Amino acid sequence: MPRDSQTERRGAHDPIIEVRNASVTYDLEYRDAMVLDDVSIDLRRGEILGVVGESGSGKSMLANAMMDAVEEPGITTGEIRYYPERGSEPVNILDLSDEELRSLRWEEISMVFQGALSSFNPTMTVRGHFEETLDAHDYDVEEGMERARELLEDLYLDPDRVLDSYSHELSGGMSQRALIALSLVLEPQVLLMDEPTAALDLLMQRSILSLLDDIKEKYNLSILFITHDLPLVSGLADRLAILYAFELAEVGPSEQVVRNSQHPYTRALLRAVPSLDAPLETMRPIPGSAPNPANTPNGCHYAPRCPLATDECHEETPPWFDTADDQRTACFNHDDAGDAVPLELEVVES
Amino acid sequence: MSYVLKRLGRSFLTIFVVVSASFGLIRLLPGGPLDYLRAQMIQQGGSDLSTAEINRRIAAQTNIAVDEPVYVQYIDYMTAIFRGDFGQSIWYDQSVAGVIGPAIPWTVFLTATALFLAFTVGVSLGAFMAYKEGSTFDVGSTGVGLVLNSTPGYVVALLFIAFLGYRLQLFPTGGRYASELTPGLNVPFLASVLYHGTLPILSMAIVAFGGWALSMRGNSIRVLGEDYLRVARLRGLPTRRIALRYVARNAILPMYTGLMIAIGTVFGGAVIIENIFAYPGIGFYLIQAINARDSPLMMGAFILITVAMVIGITVADLTYGWLDPRAKGGASRESY
Repeated sequence: MPRDSQTERRGAHDPIIEVRNASVTYDLEYRDAMVLDDVSIDLRRGEILGVVGESGSGKSMLANAMMDAVEEPGITTGEIRYYPERGSEPVNILDLSDEELRSLRWEEISMVFQGALSSFNPTMTVRGHFEETLDAHDYDVEEGMERARELLEDLYLDPDRVLDSYSHELSGGMSQRALIALSLVLEPQVLLMDEPTAALDLLMQRSILSLLDDIKEKYNLSILFITHDLPLVSGLADRLAILYAFELAEVGPSEQVVRNSQHPYTRALLRAVPSLDAPLETMRPIPGSAPNPANTPNGCHYAPRCPLATDECHEETPPWFDTADDQRTACFNHDDAGDAVPLELEVVES
Repeated sequence: MSYVLKRLGRSFLTIFVVVSASFGLIRLLPGGPLDYLRAQMIQQGGSDLSTAEINRRIAAQTNIAVDEPVYVQYIDYMTAIFRGDFGQSIWYDQSVAGVIGPAIPWTVFLTATALFLAFTVGVSLGAFMAYKEGSTFDVGSTGVGLVLNSTPGYVVALLFIAFLGYRLQLFPTGGRYASELTPGLNVPFLASVLYHGTLPILSMAIVAFGGWALSMRGNSIRVLGEDYLRVARLRGLPTRRIALRYVARNAILPMYTGLMIAIGTVFGGAVIIENIFAYPGIGFYLIQAINARDSPLMMGAFILITVAMVIGITVADLTYGWLDPRAKGGASRESY
């Protein structure tokens, strides 16, 4: 049963990518595994959208689906529409030919991966990566390298040193920043970041995040930021989308989602996050474990672990409820969530 | 730079030790070649030859002057070897260098061609197997590669010579070229060289390419799963560039040391094959020397084979940093 795909109201906001009823399935021998289940969400022009979920909840699948880069034998269905300019004709990404896709990727929509060290060819200098990318997309290499140097400087790197280095000669933070520069060298409009800071220490995470804000302004980017670290992204992102077990649980402005979530999972997630400011005793793990993609529950995916679950929750997929301005929650019992899963401490400072 | 000097110094030391060991083997072993030579001369010449005369002849043949003190013998021997004087062959009655020297190009022709064939076929096949991972072709090739790689070269050589040589008479069963031809840059001679070399080369290449193919297959599959390959595809790089600059380059890298060691065996890699095909190369003379107890010739061949191996490994070590930037300047890195 597809959920109401018009929940994201058009017109009020200016989407750059619209994801409608996107699903990713893997056709396994005994049973299909659905690793992204009917997700509809917009990435708005100029915003940073944080996508939060635990490991294996489908976060990366969402990002991959947005540039039709789900690896074989995964099948992406639904619609992904890309609006190059405000009000322009949408490009339907899942219908593009291989060649169209090749030029869309990196030129319009680019991606940064976690584990930057392994994202570079170990036998090639960083400069080689920039040059071959420019070359493959028929950009002017000299002009492009000028831009690359500027990007590297914006990211507080010494362009000469970094360009002449091999990835193993850079620290984790340096190579992650070099990878961000590489993803921006063709001047894309959209940047999909898949846990770009997961492998870094806390200080480096913070400094990359603060750089990201500046970079976004300077290069007019719309950013999808994927992480499992809710407090990390809540200060950075304009809006948050919470994924649980391959489907969206809640979407809304960051502040709203963190302070006034209406979904029991989001609230439980907030309580489970460790924080330097909060005593360890206030941490509450979520009992149970996330479902297997080949065997997801029938109704709400969170129902088996949810303290509020009713028969309805176990049988039917909850529709979206508008719970506050620009906030929507997929929970039948969203009115009771606040009382049932209290937030004992304000763990997040924004 | 100092690493290069250190590495070269160590290679030289290895060669020095090997040559010294060869002196020890000849001179110090009881019942060794020197005693054998002496016994032979006494037997042949009877009492006509004085002890001094026998010693002089032994010195001429082995570079070892028997009546001098050991350290003088050692110094004489070493200086002679490093000047390229390996002594006189007993069996062929020529200088050892005169016997081995002309044989070198023939052996190198066989082994280098076989290595080149095995490596190129193996690497291409391995890459293709990785690309078709899990297919019938892949499984079949893996099986064939394993069987061939575990077959000794001489078994293939014997089968070849028995069936293609004697039974069907398609190929010659010995020699380097047809004896009526004049060596030189003329077509019939070169054709004859190729014709005579075909079976020895094939019997070496056939048992070797499977190993290269299996390593290449494994390495390629590993590289195909690397993150940087996925990123390269998303960056829209041309398939050709990804195949060559990303997959091939990074998959061949771990095989480079193996290739250099294989190049080190070009002088000594065909000992048994050359004998089966009666192909007068270094290995052929080595076996002759062993059978005839021609110790100077034996030692000459051994030293040559060792030096080639040391040079191969040294080149591998010195050039590895250029191929794999991660190993650059790593004095602690060794490829063996």
